[in-house]
Amino acid sequence: MDNAAFVQGFDRIIDDALFWLSDHAAFLFDFFRAMLEGLYEGVLWLVMLAPAYAVAAIMGLIGWRLIGPAFGALTAAALVFCALMGLWPETMETLALVIAASVIALAISLPIGAIAGLVPWLDRALTPALDLIQTLPPYIYLLPAIALLGYGPATALVATVIVAVPPAIRLTALGIRQTPREFIELGQAVGVSPLQMFLKIRLPFAVPSIMAGINQSLMMAFGMVVIAGIVGSGGLGETIYGAIRTLDIATSINASIAIVILTMMLDRLTQSAAAGRPGDRT
Amino acid sequence: MGIDMTNAASTEVLIDCRNLWKVFGDRSKEAIASITQRGLSKTQILQEFNCVVGVSDASLKVHRGEIFCIMGLSGSGKSTLIRLLNKLITPSLGTVFVKGRDISGLDGPELRRMRARHIGMVFQSVALLPQRTVLENAAFGLEVQGIPREQRNEAARAALAKVGLSDWTARYPSELSGGMQQRVGLARALTADPEIILMDEPFSALDPLIRRQLQDEFRQLTKDLGKSAVFITHDLDEAIRIGDRIAIMKDGAIIQVGTAEEIVMNPADQYVADFVAGISRLHLVKAHSLMQPAEAWRATTEGRDMTHLPRCTTEADIDTLIACITEGDHDAVAVEDDGRIVGVITVRDLLRGVRGEAAEASGPSPAENAA
Repeated sequence: MDNAAFVQGFDRIIDDALFWLSDHAAFLFDFFRAMLEGLYEGVLWLVMLAPAYAVAAIMGLIGWRLIGPAFGALTAAALVFCALMGLWPETMETLALVIAASVIALAISLPIGAIAGLVPWLDRALTPALDLIQTLPPYIYLLPAIALLGYGPATALVATVIVAVPPAIRLTALGIRQTPREFIELGQAVGVSPLQMFLKIRLPFAVPSIMAGINQSLMMAFGMVVIAGIVGSGGLGETIYGAIRTLDIATSINASIAIVILTMMLDRLTQSAAAGRPGDRT
Repeated sequence: MGIDMTNAASTEVLIDCRNLWKVFGDRSKEAIASITQRGLSKTQILQEFNCVVGVSDASLKVHRGEIFCIMGLSGSGKSTLIRLLNKLITPSLGTVFVKGRDISGLDGPELRRMRARHIGMVFQSVALLPQRTVLENAAFGLEVQGIPREQRNEAARAALAKVGLSDWTARYPSELSGGMQQRVGLARALTADPEIILMDEPFSALDPLIRRQLQDEFRQLTKDLGKSAVFITHDLDEAIRIGDRIAIMKDGAIIQVGTAEEIVMNPADQYVADFVAGISRLHLVKAHSLMQPAEAWRATTEGRDMTHLPRCTTEADIDTLIACITEGDHDAVAVEDDGRIVGVITVRDLLRGVRGEAAEASGPSPAENAA
């Protein structure tokens, strides 16, 4: 039974490493946890600042300005509906979680993506890593994350950040890499510095692709929200997870509707923000 | 056409490139070594090293105030050659001097300064930044040099006025027609006030009427502003309309350099001869390449008096000469220079000229004098 012995040995190493980490690096992970929860609480405080009807009105107004009156009215009505279902706090918790996760994910992925767009070997090295992250079942990193960060929104945030990072890196790198050759030549012929080449030529052409990356990150984050309910994310994810465990179909459907409303709202708003720039005239 | 070929350049050399080679491919270093040591041909290089020779042993000089056309078909290496002049492409071998400085020795910032201040460039694709207005595009060169907004916008407005786009400064490139976009491209190159403008097939994508109009405007503007230009084209008519001198490229090599007249009258080889075969000589060929010496004419006509012949200058073209002869029922016209008769052109000489043949008994041909 060589195999069994080998597998047991491997498992023991993993377990030991995890224990070692939680024993010796506890201060580090406590610090991370405090930071993550602080960010989450801060965003939550912000979105809970105004009553439901005010938030619905504000979002409706933004939707109207960015997309149109019909979308604005629909947004406001949908948010009011969330509140009427009695799911307002959960909806806002989920929104806070997604916003906090997206902010962290973009802070990581935009710079990395931009550098990967300029440095081919980094891009080649990142591709398999991103493939791995995107194919890995989320449960695999949820458990170690609980061991290190504990049950709660911090773990949910980390899990959500992990899935939100790859699309933004890929699309940012793509956008930076795909500057039309004639504009690179223009920059050189005019005598731009490397920094000017990036800021004045590569970046403007990459904006649509970067915005698509941000949009995709948000969508991935929403996809993770329900799964993150298992680790105590709070919000709609946990509501759905609880409802599934107690076979409370009605509640799980209500919460699902609320998630769909949030997702579609943010999807349309970020897409229109990407499309509405003057540079996209053709 | 009315192009003044005498409006020639001064003798100051602005661009001087010597024995330029550019070889593309993974093994270009080995290929270059074998070219210098063993003198391999383009085909041999392709077979042995799988490298493409883009430019092969090209040398040329561009003088101040001159419009220098490089004419060649696609794949002849002309676009590569023009990019060697401002080091957008680094030559594999050979040197480029711009205003007396070897640009291969310039470091990054020096090279950028050289490009920004002294060499403007206009592209076939125009390459206007779509998210910037016409004014911002025209001011782009000065913007990256860190010139304050007021100052650069003023320069950009002046340049746009020169190309007739004063009313369009606040528009976006997508709102302009192709011809207008290329005017913005030209204005952008002029804004930084460089001595040299590199034109990479700027008018090729435009329709014929607009193209002719821009050709004439470009030539006029360049001469008025005293700029020097290197102009790439695949169109011989365009090269003749615009260029003071023309270089003909084939397979990466320059096979002939000269004025339009020199190239039409004395093509260096069959390739050039085929090229110029369809070109009308009427406005290209001048009296000085058609005339026979006055003494020779007097000998064949048994001492006929030349003073009754109509007179023309050495720069009169065939069209003018025909008009001279037909108006007064003459059979010849006298060519005078500084008030002295230097030669005679008979109807026979004229007809030979229309066919593209030079005078029979002239001295060394102009093409040999040039280079």
